[in-house]
Amino acid sequence: MASVNKLGRHQARMAYLFITPTMLLFAVFMVIPVVMALYLSFTNYDVLSSHDWVGLDNYRRLAGDTLLWQTFLNVMYYAVVFVPLNLMISLLLAMLLNKRKAGVKLFRTFYYLPTLTSAVAAATVWIWMLHPEYGLINGLLGYFGITGPAWVSQTETAMLSIIVMTLWQSVGSNMIIYLAGLQGVPDYLYESARLDGASRFACFRYITWPQLRPTTFLVSVMAIIGALQLFDQAFVLTQGGPANVTKTPVYLIYQQGFNQLQMGYASAQAFVLAMAILVFSIISMRLTKAEEPIV
Amino acid sequence: MRKWLIMMLTVVMFGGLLAGCGGSGGSSSGGDNGGDGKSGGKVQLTFWGDWGGEGQKQFETMVDAFNKSQDRIEVKYMLQQDMVTKFLTAATSGGAPDILFWDRWRTSLYAPKNVLRPIDEYMTRDGLNPDDFYEESLKELTHDGKLYGLPLTVDARALFYNKKMFADAGLQPPTTWDELEQAAKTLTKWNGSKLEVAGFSMGDPGLFNMYLQQAGGQMLTEDGKTNFNNEQGKQVLEFWQRLLNEDKVYKIGFEEGLGEGNDAFVTGKVAMLYTGPWMMSTYNKYGKDLDYGIVPPPSGPNGDQGSVMGGFGLVIPQGSKHPEEAWEFIKWWTANKDNALLWAKTSLNMPGFKPALADPFFTEDPLWKPFTETLEFAKTRPTHPGYSVMEENAVIPNLELFMQNKQSLDDTLKKAQEQGDKLLADNASVE
Repeated sequence: MASVNKLGRHQARMAYLFITPTMLLFAVFMVIPVVMALYLSFTNYDVLSSHDWVGLDNYRRLAGDTLLWQTFLNVMYYAVVFVPLNLMISLLLAMLLNKRKAGVKLFRTFYYLPTLTSAVAAATVWIWMLHPEYGLINGLLGYFGITGPAWVSQTETAMLSIIVMTLWQSVGSNMIIYLAGLQGVPDYLYESARLDGASRFACFRYITWPQLRPTTFLVSVMAIIGALQLFDQAFVLTQGGPANVTKTPVYLIYQQGFNQLQMGYASAQAFVLAMAILVFSIISMRLTKAEEPIV
Repeated sequence: MRKWLIMMLTVVMFGGLLAGCGGSGGSSSGGDNGGDGKSGGKVQLTFWGDWGGEGQKQFETMVDAFNKSQDRIEVKYMLQQDMVTKFLTAATSGGAPDILFWDRWRTSLYAPKNVLRPIDEYMTRDGLNPDDFYEESLKELTHDGKLYGLPLTVDARALFYNKKMFADAGLQPPTTWDELEQAAKTLTKWNGSKLEVAGFSMGDPGLFNMYLQQAGGQMLTEDGKTNFNNEQGKQVLEFWQRLLNEDKVYKIGFEEGLGEGNDAFVTGKVAMLYTGPWMMSTYNKYGKDLDYGIVPPPSGPNGDQGSVMGGFGLVIPQGSKHPEEAWEFIKWWTANKDNALLWAKTSLNMPGFKPALADPFFTEDPLWKPFTETLEFAKTRPTHPGYSVMEENAVIPNLELFMQNKQSLDDTLKKAQEQGDKLLADNASVE
């Protein structure tokens, strides 16, 4: 017994030793900045000269900041459309490409390629495709006698354009995650289901989908975080316009902190965003019931 | 033994980590090193800017010329991506450069923080005449009665027009709003619901400031409140409404994403537009068949003229250890006719130094002349620290709704005023 305890203690010591570098990095680059930001959100810090405690002033100002709340509504609209579509399309692609057939690897590569394109380059191409008079999309619509809208310039379609572009860009990487998930589903489950005469849909409903829960949880949480932090695609495609409908919280936080030098207030805004992300992640966790898959 | 080995390994790994951090810290404060060491007996100065590519070459041309012109000071240009953010950290932790390339409108935000060095005493000591610079450009570099730098470039928007289209239609370049409207109407071509040629570009509601001046108005009052929910603001929007809805000279989103070789003006899809001298190199490069002319912005209903002056300056951060030498460099570049002209000719920027702009290079060139005329009445943006957020987050969004016929004229001005005043107040004090 004594020797087992000794071994255990030794292993524990070694384990701590090995995780120390990671934990140290985590503390230096994550924990300390977060605590600092929380502290700064109670000051009028401006990076350069002032650094005084202002209590809840910044948070009081938040309440009347209609533009900030509008940007939150913008990203929520974005998230509500984007996240489910993202899950569905990437799962569908993964299931289509989870077959051992000639050329399947080529298609996997094609679907993954957009992920590797830089957001700025992709947005530039999409702006051309969405041009009201010379764009590919309105050109196609023109064949059916439809006058397409000025996609990125009109308030009704600007956010939709961003959703389509970001979907195109992000389904590839989620498809890969789902592919890995699908290949982890044990074959014997399908085999026994087929012996029992289960339909294809039943196989998906009662085997694939429950088995993929942890994957779905991962993908959806990442998608939600990404959605709430939307910035670069929206910035390149529409610069937050028209009429503020594609402005996002991250954009405002950056503007307030680095352009207006109101880092204290920007920290308060950032904390609201962090809380929103937390809440949505918890909701998503409940919805997908991220327990271990039943094997 | 093995334990020791593991301990050693860990120590080495940590050491590596720390060295990694230290290394990056060292390079970010690299600007400081030049200040301490005087290699070869010369004072080493660092000059930060965020112009890369062609702009970097243009800067380096000037820096080399300065370094050759004397043997006491050696300036080195350092390209900084995201320069302002880097300057924020450098200004507080040491390592600020000696000279900073400066977007002038930022002065009202940074000067109150005591990170820039006033240059008034140098100006008087060296007998520089402020009248050699545009008053408006100096105003933008001034805070609380102190001057913080000298203008390196000036620019303003003027009206570019396609000469061939004008000749074909027998039109003269417009000088008033009415003539502008007539010309735009004549030159616009629709094919069913498809716009083929826009008579006049209306893609940038951010030019509201300019139109407001032409209508005789100003964006802000003396005490820092919005000043466009009035007769002048109304005149601008009525003019826009006529152009967009009655004359139909433009379609929202028409120029979206078109640039360089596809630029709508280059390809003859836009007959007139407001833009600045910075577009001339693009038009000359891609517009082989494009024959264009430039005139000062047409005047409004009461004959008022207006354009917005912009441009860059050079400033000395408080953190510079060699402000005297930095000033020498700035003076050499911005307040010497020959050097300002060399800069102008190599970079095709308009220099901030008036005597250089009086050179035949500018006064006798039909493309530069309208700009020098425009600069005579052009006004810089108000120096309120909240001005740019106000314009971007309150004025432009409401104007966009108006231009898409989703908000009435009165509501537009009223909402822009309410939201604008709030943003101005929230961003007024940066202390």
